[in-house]
Amino acid sequence: MPLINTRAEEISAAEPDVVLAPGGSLEEVLPRLAGLAVIAVEFPKFRDGRGFTTARALRERHFYKGDLRATGHFLPDQFAFLIACGFTSFETPAEHNPAQFAAALAKPHQPGQLLRRSLARALEAG
Amino acid sequence: MRGGIKFSAFRAPVESVGAAALTGSKFAQDFSIQIRCARNLFLAKARAAVGGEFFTGAAFMSKRADLDMALHVITGNRLADGISVWFAGPKGWAELVGQAVGYDEAGLEAALAQANPADAELHVVDIRAVEVTREGGMLFPVAHREQIRARGPSVRADLPAGVWRDGAEPLPPLPSASSSSPFAGIYRYDEYDRDFLRQRATVFGEQVERRRKGELTEDEFKPLRLMNGVYLQLHAYMLRIAIPYGVLSATQLRQLAYVARHYDRGYGHFTTRQNIQFNWLRLEDVPDALAALAEADIHGIQTSGNCIRNTTTDEFAGAAADEIVDPRLYAEIIRQWSTDHPEFTYLPRKFKIAIVGAGHDRAAVRVHDIGIEAYRDAAGAPVFRIFAGGGLGRTPYVAVQLREDLPVPELLRYCEAILRVYNALGRRDNMYKARIKILIREMKPEAFIKMVEDEYASMAAGYCLLTDEMVQAVAARFPVPEFPRQDTGVLKSALLDDRALARWVKQNTHPHKQPGYISAVISLKPVGGIAGDASADEMDVVANLADKYSLGEVRVSHVQNLVLPHVAKDDLPALFKDLVQAGLATDNIGLVTDIIACPGMDYCALATARSIPLAQRIAERLAPKQHEIGTLHVNISGCINACGHHHVGHIGLLGVDKNGEEVYQITLGGAADEKAAIGKIIGPAVPTAKVPDAIEALMEAYLKLRETGERFIDTYRRLGAEPFKGAIYATH
Repeated sequence: MPLINTRAEEISAAEPDVVLAPGGSLEEVLPRLAGLAVIAVEFPKFRDGRGFTTARALRERHFYKGDLRATGHFLPDQFAFLIACGFTSFETPAEHNPAQFAAALAKPHQPGQLLRRSLARALEAG
Repeated sequence: MRGGIKFSAFRAPVESVGAAALTGSKFAQDFSIQIRCARNLFLAKARAAVGGEFFTGAAFMSKRADLDMALHVITGNRLADGISVWFAGPKGWAELVGQAVGYDEAGLEAALAQANPADAELHVVDIRAVEVTREGGMLFPVAHREQIRARGPSVRADLPAGVWRDGAEPLPPLPSASSSSPFAGIYRYDEYDRDFLRQRATVFGEQVERRRKGELTEDEFKPLRLMNGVYLQLHAYMLRIAIPYGVLSATQLRQLAYVARHYDRGYGHFTTRQNIQFNWLRLEDVPDALAALAEADIHGIQTSGNCIRNTTTDEFAGAAADEIVDPRLYAEIIRQWSTDHPEFTYLPRKFKIAIVGAGHDRAAVRVHDIGIEAYRDAAGAPVFRIFAGGGLGRTPYVAVQLREDLPVPELLRYCEAILRVYNALGRRDNMYKARIKILIREMKPEAFIKMVEDEYASMAAGYCLLTDEMVQAVAARFPVPEFPRQDTGVLKSALLDDRALARWVKQNTHPHKQPGYISAVISLKPVGGIAGDASADEMDVVANLADKYSLGEVRVSHVQNLVLPHVAKDDLPALFKDLVQAGLATDNIGLVTDIIACPGMDYCALATARSIPLAQRIAERLAPKQHEIGTLHVNISGCINACGHHHVGHIGLLGVDKNGEEVYQITLGGAADEKAAIGKIIGPAVPTAKVPDAIEALMEAYLKLRETGERFIDTYRRLGAEPFKGAIYATH
């Protein structure tokens, strides 16, 4: 499947060092977090939003700085949400090609707009 | 277009229909008008034929005995407008069950395959077989729900026949374009907020388009439409619009009336969560309806789906004499924080927050996923008591308390901690066990609270901190109305010689914090009416009365009534006169006929029983005695999902299907206030027709047993269920 970055450009990048299954515990990866270049977080189905919290926990609670990759099934309509939670690369699902993700980014609408004005939240302001 | 998808109807040129009906062309519109007329004619005939009653009972059973084997038809809902369609074999899909082809078991499988080719979901969704029986050459579905799908709601014989939406008709200008209403205490949008809503309507329009083109499957599209308030119900799409914390301006109410009149069939339904629902939307009209509402600063965002829903509060917020902290400010902050939240929009299940700021809990916060009680600490600063894990549905729970006095700056951080634990650990394997209330019970409250506290403690110091500056910025956008009027005694003297006025004032008003003012409740529960329904004309009347008497402001209560929050006491007699003239002066607030009822099986795809007709029968039976009986909350749900909040009714009625018959479980002793309790089932379910007898007998028993000044709930708490059980089960 094509891999894209946060601007929906196709990229080639390293295979993930770790694939986190949905619902899996972070305990195992936390001790070696600093040494991991790519962590993949799997979305079994786009409705399963655990990956959003996994990403936020890795970025904000555990200060993971490497590439965070979304894999599995997610929608172009969720692209901005994934980016806001800290994902940096995306293995696009078979059902939705990179062009659909690029189209989603072209919209002026971004998640958390109302909030962003009221609350200066680093990740969303970025 | 590939495959055999066609739509056919009465005497229609079938071959040309399939393509045209899907294109939105002028021809398609003319055609759709034609078929609507035919459909309404059929519905009228069908109603006359069966007298509005279900096709069931002895006559039906004897018919069944004649059948060699079960007969089925294939049905679905049309993607474009959601109406029920019936498979007519080689002729494609028909709008009338009478035109469907019946299949015996031998032919059913092949027919299902024919009705459901690979591209079927581009045109028809939820394709399935339902059992039917043949009567006088006509086919009738066996299941009540399918009969209602075929015939329309059993409680709306007043719906005008004919076309209800001619897409070619130019619409008049929006009410918001020429509003001269006073802009009262509602949160003031600016262009930034309004653009956000406009964009959402545009984005949803694009999603509808992608769904039609097959870029989104129905499975993918469904959560996206739900997050914009769009459900597929029995007869059409339903659009649920949020009324954030129950506050509306007169202009907004007129805009809702406009949508009811021009996109729907002339009415809307106010719900138990401070939302309004339109029942007859066409999917392709929804983006336009949302765009129209955006111009009046209203939206359907997150009124459904597994996300944080509309935050609800006390309908007298900002007006009530007993208010300690005005909860609207914090409810608006929560709305802004939760709207499109990047982390919490694909939760295990829906998530409901309620906040109250009066000593008395008028928002049922203890039966919400997060409940917040705002009060003031010793220094006078607002603080929050935080509850979580309350809820109704099939496993009702009263919430557990997490914090006693959370300071304002911590509000959103703490909610984030709760939601983070829930999003990570809430069950996703079983939708009936996916709410936070189940997680808390499965983990044990102590362990859950510890995890929330750990998560909260690990947050960076400034993360999601609600600073005083931010609170003030939002507060500045709630204009505080001026209350210049004094009580000059007009009301007092009017009360002396007008008993009807006196009774209405006693029952339908609530004390205001300004001595010259009072809040007036407009009952949407006329005896024999449909709880929470209001016609477009009624909405306009209420909007005009709000302009005239209530600083242009209206409230929607969680018991499905409307409120004029700021009425000068001197004006109350004049307001009452106007309400009487409009037929909106029902004086039953808090009484037995002020029944909460969900839409039930007349509209809802989940319901197992019809709650509206039962509410009507109970109200008719008990109306003569309602003032004698006094305060009594009767709540009716048409299924276990408990939208009618039956668990927290003093008397709760839950409709269940028992071998094809609608019966009701009776619970007693529920309460939604600060003494929140889940009602107890008192015995076997009662047949629907016997429920009014049962409630009447219950009331007779109460009137005999009560002590002076005792409400039913107090008598129940004093004596328990026993004396009432006997009364109920003696009736059948």
